[in-house]
Amino acid sequence: MTKVGWFKLISLIAIVGVLIAICVVEDRLVINSLSNVKDYCYDIEVAIEKNGGIVNGEVASLVDNMEYSWKQDESSLCFMVNHKSIEALGIEIVRLKTYINEEEDVEFLTSLEIIKSYVETFQHFMGASFHNIL
Amino acid sequence: MQIKMFFTYNKNMLTIVFRAVIIYLVVLFLYRLMGKRQLGQMQPFELVLTLIIADLATIPMAEVSVPVLHGIVPLLTLVVLHFILTYLSKLSGKFSAFLSGKPVIVINPDGIDYKAIKNLNISVDDVFEAIRGCGYFSIEQVQYAIMETNGKMSVLPKSEFAPVTVQDMKLEIEESCVPVNIINEGKIVKENLEIAGIKLEDVNKILNKANIKKVKDVLILTVDKNGAVYVQQFGQKFQTLQIKPLGQVEA
Repeated sequence: MTKVGWFKLISLIAIVGVLIAICVVEDRLVINSLSNVKDYCYDIEVAIEKNGGIVNGEVASLVDNMEYSWKQDESSLCFMVNHKSIEALGIEIVRLKTYINEEEDVEFLTSLEIIKSYVETFQHFMGASFHNIL
Repeated sequence: MQIKMFFTYNKNMLTIVFRAVIIYLVVLFLYRLMGKRQLGQMQPFELVLTLIIADLATIPMAEVSVPVLHGIVPLLTLVVLHFILTYLSKLSGKFSAFLSGKPVIVINPDGIDYKAIKNLNISVDDVFEAIRGCGYFSIEQVQYAIMETNGKMSVLPKSEFAPVTVQDMKLEIEESCVPVNIINEGKIVKENLEIAGIKLEDVNKILNKANIKKVKDVLILTVDKNGAVYVQQFGQKFQTLQIKPLGQVEA
């Protein structure tokens, strides 16, 4: 095989490797970050039930942690996912903090439901499924 | 100060500049990898690839919210697909014919082959335009016209209308004929053996005469009905041989 032939073969193998790596990293990243948000949502619900409302240190702390965790994941996800598709989740998390300050329980719970719904929707359209391929 | 202000408030533009550079370099690399072909020389599947690549490259370049990887991943996928298709078409003549089609004779010594041009979905005007493009303004000048798989027309003029004509030279020559491609890139084109009217052992005799040991060493070997052989090994200069007219090959 000529030098050019070897170069092409190696490039081709490298390209296939890069494609596999990107797909695996994206899959792991999306699953992990969305699972984190989902877990925080369930923890917040449990904390609200336990403390009888949203105005308490545990809920505030969990929301702060969720916001921090999401910001970390969001910056990584921006390499792989259209930023416009995931920005709504960040906005909704910020709203949770506002609702705690204003003691608006109903709005807080609505926002929490919206976040859970977003997470489930993202998990549906970000994965490699027959529906998404077509 | 103004430059600092520019970089502070025009991050979006700067992002687009960097994205354009990245995507340009990736596309350039991929085109170099695929080989040198001009637009007019492309096979149908190569043309499709070029059109899609051009479109894919512009999306992440201009839309900042779309990750650059959204442009690069499909580009890389298409290049891998291109290599697979190219490899398969080299491996199988049938697959190659399916992918790129076969050259079609549209003008033969009897005139225009209407059935052939209908199958190609071209008109008689298109045939005339193509032969004019080859420098022949009358169909009478054309012995054979072949529509190649890349859409270009190849014209073999009648002997008397060849660039240096028989009449000019006052020589007696034999009728023009199309050389048949017997070995292509180290592989015998079996269907052409039948067209040329020679057998596999005749090919070996020709190779022996040319001092070539293996078929796979041959880049190209053509024979015409007058027995003129053109043969070239990989990485070597071509040689021409004269054998007995086709069907009577002897070393």
